[in-house]
Amino acid sequence: MRGSARLRLVLTVLVLSALTFTALDYGGGQGGPFGALRNGVNTVFGPAQRALGGVARSVGGALGGLPRLGSYQSDNNKLRTQNDELKRQLVANEADQRRIKEFDCLMRTKDLEGFTVVPAAVSAIGAELPFQQTVTIDVGDRDQGVIVGRTVISARGLVGRIIRVGRYTSTVALLTDPTFSVGARLARVGSLGFVNGGGSGPLTLELARLDDDGQLKVGDALLTSGSSTFVPGVPIGRVSKVSTRSGQLARTAEVESFVDVGALDLLMVVVNGPRTQARVALAPSPQPGTEVAGCTVVPLPTPVSTPAPVGTTSPGPNAAGTASRQPAAATASPTP
Amino acid sequence: MTGRRFALGAATILTALLVQTTVITRLALPGSPPDLLLVLVVAFALVEGPLSGMATGFVAGVLADLMSDHEVGRIALAYVVVAFLVGQFGTDTERSVFLPFAAVGFASLGVVLIYAGEGVLLGDPRITGGAVMQALVSTVPYAVILTPFVIPVVGGLIRRLDPDPVRR
Repeated sequence: MRGSARLRLVLTVLVLSALTFTALDYGGGQGGPFGALRNGVNTVFGPAQRALGGVARSVGGALGGLPRLGSYQSDNNKLRTQNDELKRQLVANEADQRRIKEFDCLMRTKDLEGFTVVPAAVSAIGAELPFQQTVTIDVGDRDQGVIVGRTVISARGLVGRIIRVGRYTSTVALLTDPTFSVGARLARVGSLGFVNGGGSGPLTLELARLDDDGQLKVGDALLTSGSSTFVPGVPIGRVSKVSTRSGQLARTAEVESFVDVGALDLLMVVVNGPRTQARVALAPSPQPGTEVAGCTVVPLPTPVSTPAPVGTTSPGPNAAGTASRQPAAATASPTP
Repeated sequence: MTGRRFALGAATILTALLVQTTVITRLALPGSPPDLLLVLVVAFALVEGPLSGMATGFVAGVLADLMSDHEVGRIALAYVVVAFLVGQFGTDTERSVFLPFAAVGFASLGVVLIYAGEGVLLGDPRITGGAVMQALVSTVPYAVILTPFVIPVVGGLIRRLDPDPVRR
């Protein structure tokens, strides 16, 4: 084969480059030699993704599958196109209606006292390979207080945490990502444990102490216990299946999350919450996950002694991009 | 290769990346999402040969790596290797209607396996047997379905620039 020596040389060079990149980036985390490049790519693609994300949100909702593509072959008359366009607008309208309701619920989320949040929308989902579960949201380090490690929630409960922040966008590791782990507390009895992401499988709960075993029941709600990385009291999900094997050190269970990670859209980044365990009664009323007036209630706990917010506190001037579309940072007022 | 040819490569890669992250993943199809970038890389490898395929694969792969959460270079390596292999296919066999479909299916399989293999070597906790199986049963058929939409378009664009593309 002619030129095959040159081909093999190119193959070798490219493969070695790729391997070198991987080795350099291994364990690099947020920084590393490629940190700046990643941020650069985010900065370049972020705005385009944000813009396209809006379009895709409507179109994606309208498509709902691909069967429509075939009908484009018969492009015989104008009316049909017009009709399709109108239909698409209708569906896009429906999507907007849903988003308005979702945003409404988000803003009426109960007991947000002491927390400062930045509203965000999902602008891109995951990578092209299926092994990790991340979404890109349309807030970045222009938006005050958005840094790595922030808890991300929706109107239904815990969504994940920020693992990378770019100029205009950030990456959120979803709670279903196999590397995800969050400290959890059983809402009913207060036992502590960890909820781990299961990838394609369900979330799993591991209780920390053996003598908590008898108290674990199907249907138990789980809240975050609060740690250096997660704000306390955010609903995670419900125990859906208790494994009954005896002789295990830590009792495990399967957990069904309150949020549907396949249908994420409007989210909130908690930029300021009590960083220590809030001293609140762990019997939130109403129960987490219950529907009130069409919204799923998120009972974030009210810290007894609200720590004087420091640093990125006030719902103050936020980045222009977010502010123009939505309230910049919403601090819910105490419930009347 | 002329400047216009490079511009074509860059434009198609950027478009595919944007469409991939904003539209395709949002369709929420069952299983793992279709890999539009890979089909693009295979298209270049088939139409212009392994060299063009490898160059496209490397650039597209590094960009995809930079936009994701894993180590840079992992997708790039997978794309380069499959582009090389697909390029060989193209030169050795008589062109048939089914060649692109077979090439894309093979390449998709290869990318998942190479990516998973790297993950195993790096101790990536996300790589499990179940996840790999799930990826294979969904992403390979999706890629094959994308083939008739992507490859003729790329071929057409290349031939517009150069009516008789030299295979490199």
